[in-house]
Amino acid sequence: MSEKILVAKDITKSFGRFQVLNGINLTIKRGDRYILFGSNGAGKTTLVKILSTILPADSGELTLFGKKIERRSKDIKAMIGFMSHEPYLYNELSARENLNFYASLYSVKDKKERVESLLKEVGLYHRSHDKIGSFSRGMKQRLSLARAILHAPDIIFLDEPYAGLDIRAQEILNDLIIRLNQKGKTFFFITHDIGKGFEIAKRSGVLSKGRIVYEVEGGEKKAFSEKYREIIREETG
Amino acid sequence: MNAVKTIFLKELMVEFRSKQMINSYFILSLMIITSFRFAFSVIDFSLTQLASPILWITFFFGGMFSLSPIYKREIEQGTREGLLLAPISPSSIYLGKFLANLLVISCLELFTLLIFFVFFPVDTPDLLALLTLVAIGTIGIVALGNIISAISSNLAQSEVMLPVLLVPVLLFTVIMSSVSATSNVFAGAHLLDVMQEIKFILAFDVVFLAVGYLLIDYILED
Repeated sequence: MSEKILVAKDITKSFGRFQVLNGINLTIKRGDRYILFGSNGAGKTTLVKILSTILPADSGELTLFGKKIERRSKDIKAMIGFMSHEPYLYNELSARENLNFYASLYSVKDKKERVESLLKEVGLYHRSHDKIGSFSRGMKQRLSLARAILHAPDIIFLDEPYAGLDIRAQEILNDLIIRLNQKGKTFFFITHDIGKGFEIAKRSGVLSKGRIVYEVEGGEKKAFSEKYREIIREETG
Repeated sequence: MNAVKTIFLKELMVEFRSKQMINSYFILSLMIITSFRFAFSVIDFSLTQLASPILWITFFFGGMFSLSPIYKREIEQGTREGLLLAPISPSSIYLGKFLANLLVISCLELFTLLIFFVFFPVDTPDLLALLTLVAIGTIGIVALGNIISAISSNLAQSEVMLPVLLVPVLLFTVIMSSVSATSNVFAGAHLLDVMQEIKFILAFDVVFLAVGYLLIDYILED
């Protein structure tokens, strides 16, 4: 039985009077590729930010590797990688300088070798000295994935990673994720796009009205899509 | 300390490549100095009395408007969360940014001082006293400017909110004391003669730095 990396119990979150998350229960095991689907405004980004310790939950319990997650814990932050639709990169710096900067913040050992190998891995070695302001969105996202895995985190969260990517860039990103997953990295995704997300999911879930209302391991895309549409129809009335 | 140094170097690289702070400071300070020079060219005035307020108005507004975007650009570029996710203390972010901005603004102020003396040729018998006052006044402007920039970056219309929050605090503490002490220096006072004001300004520098260091955690993460 795989080790439980992340366990969330009864997580709630509200902004003012608006209840965004209403009792999230979730378990992620080592080596998972868990994709959580949901419509716009379902609370996906809020959930991924809570799981990755960016936002605190109002109530509930969150554990990572058996340790209770504390939002400002440096140890926990070092175990987490996060890739958002925002690349978290500086346009004024080159690809190499951006990775060097984050490698220093994460106190990465053998920084130079690690940065070089990641630049090769994401196919940007030949552009490593170019400022990323001149990069396409797809190139920035690939560099963003390199940034997210720079410190060899145990779990990587992805928030709408396909946003604004063309089909080729999506394929490259999916190939990278599958390769990293085969090397033992655990992934937790959120997206509203079943077409792009489901094809690489090992486990999938649907977030609706602040709860995970449906979960499936493997399964057929067609059946999942129908179930997802049914949930969305109920949600929107 | 490694995180402070990393943030410091990153800030300098980003600033020297974007020149956002350098350009806004340079243009604004030049405009203020020349505006006052031409405004006072039609009336009789005492150079010794007016030089100090004009100099500090230039430093104050130059600093205020150039510090305004330093946290907001992290939000606009989407890099703030990247910093907050890193296993570093938010106070490292504050200190790294503070030191980088202090260096940039100090260099800009030295350049501004040269332009100022061209337009307002006031006698300065004790240059050490003047430079000491400029240095400690700048620490106060940058320390408080950094923290208010972080607070206002979370607010709507942050460009308006920054002066609203910064002016009352800075004006009645560091700026007024600096104006008074610099006036005395222009009138012939030496370093020891303005020691009382220097201690007063230094006390506020320490308070502003301590407030920034302690509160940045809550300001950035909430």
